[in-house]
Amino acid sequence: MNETVTIGAPGMNVAGIVAEIRASVERKRAEGAYADPRVARAEKSNLTNLQNDDDFFDFYMACLRQAFVVDINDFPIIERRPRLGKLLVALKRTIWNLLKFYTYRMWTQQNQINGLLLSALESSEQKHRTTVKALEARIAHLESERH
Amino acid sequence: MGATAEHIAFVVPRLADGSVVGGAETLLRKLAERASASGRQVTILTTCATSHYTWANELPPGRRQVGGLDVEFFPVDGDRDIETFLAVQNRISAGVRVSRDEEQDWLRHSVNSRALCSHLTDAGEQYDVIVTGPYLFGLVYHAAQVHPKKTLLVPCLHDEPFALLTSFKEMFHNVKGCMFNTEPERRLAVRLYGEPDQAQVISVVGMGLDDRIVDASAFAARHGIDAPYLLYSGRREPLKGTPILIDYLEAFRARNDIDLKLVMTGSGDIPIPPELQPHVIDVGFLSETEKFEAMAGAVAFCHPSVNESLGIVLLEAWLAGTPGLVHAHGEVLRYQCESSNGGLWFQIYPEFEEAVLLMLNQPETRRALGQAGRAYVLREYAWEAVEKRLLAALDAALQGA
Repeated sequence: MNETVTIGAPGMNVAGIVAEIRASVERKRAEGAYADPRVARAEKSNLTNLQNDDDFFDFYMACLRQAFVVDINDFPIIERRPRLGKLLVALKRTIWNLLKFYTYRMWTQQNQINGLLLSALESSEQKHRTTVKALEARIAHLESERH
Repeated sequence: MGATAEHIAFVVPRLADGSVVGGAETLLRKLAERASASGRQVTILTTCATSHYTWANELPPGRRQVGGLDVEFFPVDGDRDIETFLAVQNRISAGVRVSRDEEQDWLRHSVNSRALCSHLTDAGEQYDVIVTGPYLFGLVYHAAQVHPKKTLLVPCLHDEPFALLTSFKEMFHNVKGCMFNTEPERRLAVRLYGEPDQAQVISVVGMGLDDRIVDASAFAARHGIDAPYLLYSGRREPLKGTPILIDYLEAFRARNDIDLKLVMTGSGDIPIPPELQPHVIDVGFLSETEKFEAMAGAVAFCHPSVNESLGIVLLEAWLAGTPGLVHAHGEVLRYQCESSNGGLWFQIYPEFEEAVLLMLNQPETRRALGQAGRAYVLREYAWEAVEKRLLAALDAALQGA
């Protein structure tokens, strides 16, 4: 559970509150509080709003690193219906074991592909960012010479 | 003492009435009502359509009284070529630059009413000032060409690809002037179209709100909601940012041991994951009183749209004493939050989570934000203040018309 930011000032200064929230988020981010696939999934609709924002892209890529792996671990199998509960759990377990047997190899390969794609995307983004920065510096230099 | 604009025509694509709602339509109707109440002769010229999806002529044409206003209904042109319209629209939406001919094709096959424009051509002399908006419709574009020197545009301008069309730039410069909703909207027009001409009437008018006091617990009690809730009011669609709200609620509930709900009023379908469905309470359209009750009982009013020219529902939430929570890239809504000290903004999910936790865990801060918002609305959006700005703009439009 996250600890929340505390605002002590009695008068309202929303810019100050937002600045405190951002500082708190930065601190927690450094501690890994948002290294969470659920955060990556939550940001998928926000990409279009912030596509020109370098900071957001870095944040999103960091989130993706947490989210690209398909979870193939076991999970607790439960049954809420009281009647035949034990039988249903046993049945579900059998079905899951069969499914796991057939799909494990596929998901492992998918995880490898996701990881490779993410690395390629990061590498491509880094390369283009460096190129764009070099071009911007060159344009600025040429413009300053011209004036 | 200058001349007074006695007879004013309001040209709108649809009349806001009953279930026909929309921010721009409501704004123009309210302005018309205030002009009428202040003794000006007002005529609303609109189409027979009620649905902004089909634009079918559902109302009978002709002149009649609606809620004390003189309204004349004209049929929407039935010969629009939707395929041509959508083909150009999709390209503009994708950021592709289209030729002037294509722009004109798009406007020609948008929602239009030749009958309404003919009326303006034939009988336009009887009106001192013609007020029309929002900018995006063929009807408004063509109506503004008939008597541009007596036309005031209420553009409801958004920072979107359509606003970059050359035809709209020309329209903004050809009309007598503009009544903007907020200062950021006026600045956006300057950024897109350049400084207005000296003779143009440029004013920030906005829309007034009537104060009302409601029971903050009534809505939750009526709907059996016993958990804190965020509220969203309006159309649910990607352009309004509602998918972000759904995604963020899902992450918030998964990461925090708090039973937070989302109440949605208004219309539109958006996909909601099955496991989240019990926690998203869709109440559809509400009466004004019940909408205010829903607002008053909410932890925060969340408006994640980045494309607004005036956040009317945000102002209403403040009037109900509830703080706002908006997207940092929504320039107008953020400006309203900064001006009022009545709301917070987020750029990414972690900021949203922190802001919601703050409002849940610090009720005094939440209350103070809501009260600051309420004081702002009562000061800046009281009808007396808005009406003064409206009438001044209408009268100024008469000079040199």
